Amino acid sequence: MLTHALFGGLLFGLYFTLVGLGLNLIFGVMRIVNLAHGDFLMLGAFAAYWLFTLFGLHPLVAAVAVLVVFVLVGLPIYYLIVPRLLVSRDSEMLSIILFFGLSQIIEALASIFFGTTERSIPGRVLGTGPVRILGQSVPSAWAFGAAVSAVAVILVYLYLYRTRLGTLTRAVMVSRDEALATGIDVHRVSAIAFGIGIALAGIAGVFEPFMLGSVTPAIGGDITIAAFAVIVVGTLGNPLGTVLGGIVYGVSLLLMQTYLSSWANLLPNLLLIGVLLIRPEGLLGRQVRRA
Amino acid sequence: MRRTVGRRGTGDLLIALVVTAIMAALPFGYSNELLLFNFVTFLALSQGLNVLYGFTGYLPFGYVGFFGAGAYGFALTVMHLNWPPLAAMAAAGVAALILAAILTPLLRLSGAYFAIASLAAAQSVYEIVANPALEDVTKGPYGVSLSGVFAPMFSYQVGVAVLLFSLVVVVWLRNSRFGLALQAIREDTVSAAMAGVSVVRGRTIAWLLSALIAGLVGGVYAWHISVFYPDTAFNIQFSIFATVFVLFGGATTLIGPILGVVILYGVYNTIGITVPQYFQLIYGVLIVALVLFLPNGLVSLATRRGIRVP
Amino acid sequence: MLRRALLGLVALVPLALARPVLAAEAPSEIKIGHLHAGSGPYASISMPVYLGLKLWVDQTNASGGAFVKAFNKKIPLKLISYDDQSSTATAATLYNQLITQDKVDLLVADSGSVLTSVAVPIAREHKQFLFDPTGTGATFFQNNPYIALLADPVSTIWPKYIADFLKDDGVKAGIKKVALLYSTNDFTGTQATALRGFLKTPDSGLEIVYDQGVPTNTSSYTVLINNIAAADPDAVIALGYTGNDIAFLRNLQDSGNKFRFLFAIYPGIETDELVKNVGPQGLDGVFTYVTSAAIAYKPEVGPTEAEFRKMFEKANAGSGVAYGFNAIAGYTTALVLQETLAHADSLSQADLRKAVFGLSGKLKTLDGTFELDEHGAQIGEITPLGQVHPEGKGVKITVVYPHDLATGKPVFGKP
Repeated sequence: MLTHALFGGLLFGLYFTLVGLGLNLIFGVMRIVNLAHGDFLMLGAFAAYWLFTLFGLHPLVAAVAVLVVFVLVGLPIYYLIVPRLLVSRDSEMLSIILFFGLSQIIEALASIFFGTTERSIPGRVLGTGPVRILGQSVPSAWAFGAAVSAVAVILVYLYLYRTRLGTLTRAVMVSRDEALATGIDVHRVSAIAFGIGIALAGIAGVFEPFMLGSVTPAIGGDITIAAFAVIVVGTLGNPLGTVLGGIVYGVSLLLMQTYLSSWANLLPNLLLIGVLLIRPEGLLGRQVRRA
Repeated sequence: MRRTVGRRGTGDLLIALVVTAIMAALPFGYSNELLLFNFVTFLALSQGLNVLYGFTGYLPFGYVGFFGAGAYGFALTVMHLNWPPLAAMAAAGVAALILAAILTPLLRLSGAYFAIASLAAAQSVYEIVANPALEDVTKGPYGVSLSGVFAPMFSYQVGVAVLLFSLVVVVWLRNSRFGLALQAIREDTVSAAMAGVSVVRGRTIAWLLSALIAGLVGGVYAWHISVFYPDTAFNIQFSIFATVFVLFGGATTLIGPILGVVILYGVYNTIGITVPQYFQLIYGVLIVALVLFLPNGLVSLATRRGIRVP
Repeated sequence: MLRRALLGLVALVPLALARPVLAAEAPSEIKIGHLHAGSGPYASISMPVYLGLKLWVDQTNASGGAFVKAFNKKIPLKLISYDDQSSTATAATLYNQLITQDKVDLLVADSGSVLTSVAVPIAREHKQFLFDPTGTGATFFQNNPYIALLADPVSTIWPKYIADFLKDDGVKAGIKKVALLYSTNDFTGTQATALRGFLKTPDSGLEIVYDQGVPTNTSSYTVLINNIAAADPDAVIALGYTGNDIAFLRNLQDSGNKFRFLFAIYPGIETDELVKNVGPQGLDGVFTYVTSAAIAYKPEVGPTEAEFRKMFEKANAGSGVAYGFNAIAGYTTALVLQETLAHADSLSQADLRKAVFGLSGKLKTLDGTFELDEHGAQIGEITPLGQVHPEGKGVKITVVYPHDLATGKPVFGKP
């Protein structure tokens, strides 16, 4: 049971890396907390559900479609909201209220258009039965989720460190004001990062029905909390730290579920509070106090 | 100068008394007292949130944690110790104060971190109370039934008394040196500290007062409805509603949260009940619009023109 | 500003205008107050009850109304049903609204124990008799004259046949170790407690090797299934609501684990919903409760199950609400209301109660024989044990226990 919890936790945690990745990218670049993150993820899950139900599209194909559409949707949302926010007096606080409102809007619209019943995609789409990896049998969906997450992390890394736009993005992450002073088009860089952040949430959403069983319009809130716990543990504002955060989260969650299952839901909350109070810079962060 | 402050204080107090009197009298003319009680609950709860958010700038998303702590403080003392309801009300307040004392370190966090950490804290308390392992103590997820002390009219009027307390606290904060010091801290912590204001002490007092109000409201809520589940007492909707009411009306004022409750909760009870999703949509749009166009709430329409709003 | 506040509060006052008191002459309509959950975790068990009830109201009104003995004539019905969104807090306010403002003649609770629980003290406080379709919590019936459970048995009775079957046929087939997984709510929690009591008798020959309660909102069972498998049980009993059963059975299929005996509540209750989400193969061999949906009772009042199913599906085509036991429960509740009105000497709550209890043992509907114990708990409409077998694109359910009702032999998985 212990090795299964550790190994399963690793895969499950890698999926949660994907869940937190977009949130952290947006925070890193814009210093705003996207409380609607879980709701964008929910939309991705519904997209996968409808694409499968109506056209029989495989989740991997759905993920590519979601990537494109969500980036395109993210850009106008950025320009409508964020520039106004960033000039206000307390943008971080206001952003959290505003995105909370956005999360309510998305959830309400989803309830109106999709209904509130639970939707699921047949598990056989990702292969029936468990797969065996390194002598451990795990649900095939977990292996899929972890693999997609790993690819996403590598792509984000390549974007940030191997492209010109990525270099500019990192400059904005280090200091928005200095980036502005050196003539970088901060809004363009930020808008693209915002789009990518939302698209990452959407892709995580495509695999949500397999990882968590089903999707309803109401799942967003809990997922936002979990994502926030992952990125706080990992290091706020450092997208790649999310990998560590996800793994810590996944392994400890599965250990809790295995040995203390009725207390498992307590875990993300305690992790979040504990890390914020004891080591607000995250496990990988430098000793700079942001919180 | 001193005279005007005094007169304003009297005016504010008058408003508090009138609101209280109206809420106390309404059930004699309208018999769904549970609906009226919900108004009392939200009037008091949003003033409690106002104490913290309006005067210190800390926005507790997990405000419902204190409400739930109060509800269970009340329920546990009634169930296990057979305390009479009024003594159990005191236990409700104490339960919320203890929780607030434990969570005081959260005040070290700023803005968004505080908001989310407080939410996580409320969730943690919920997970503990609702845990089947504690069924013998809290009845776990199966909920509590306090039919022995069920007294709708009496508990309603106690709720009105809690409302009066919350209003008086806000009147006091608006008209006292302490309240002004708090606002100075909110505006500019460093300057306030240099001017000799004790930042930590001020914030902690506001935090405890705010928690106390929520605890008392939670206690009287438990008493009034008498059958409830952990997910009723820790329902995040309480935080959401109270926050929206305060933001909508305008924080730091006495009248702002009242306007928020009367208008928005009034609308909720007329249309929200038949079409809840549309109502959630309207709430969401309102929040976004408020942040972008009217971040200081409805009252700022008047304050912008230099009119003083109580 | 003070005036504005006053105006705002005065806006509440029109609500306060009292309605005129009804005279003793025959009312123009009979008001039935009800709540349903249009969204949230209980929507899937609540909406079918609501639509079943509504179907009866529409049918009755089309024929000129329900016969009311108290006035010796047919009177049209008015159904007032609010949406509580699965929230107990909202439900409490709305029950109060139905009693104090709408002044309904007959008060019908929402489906399920959780949303019924808040109605119990309110109805009692206002001395209003509560028609309880499916709220099975045993505590509702203690010292409370203002309630009767109409459409399914009290929760302590449900699992009796599971226990009897395991002790009888199960032990003979070599089943010894039992794992119990349940959702922690009134409905399944009390069943788990009852089951534990039944199984822990010294001579049962059975041993509980795994016993775990999980929150009702649990959606991922992968780790729990792994834990259960590690305890190596012969029989697994999973007690949860519809969503729990769907997630559990799907995760079980994905995990590749198989058990000799597997029980779940909803395959036999909301069969269509389960088939849609889990697939016939995922339900193959699962033991479940059998409701009137799978046993063709011969009703003396109202349609047979097959006739009702046609009516229900015709009336609610495109509503997205699947037909299942809760639709029957809604209609059974309606039939009890119909017979109550036809037998009560007046519409006073005491006479209504007398009429309901007078039906006990005599009323036979599509849901079996309606029978109440002295406290108002349902003991007639029983839930035998059945087993699911895939058949084409759907499933067929055979009754396997008790033996006198059995329509087939139980099939155990390979050891």
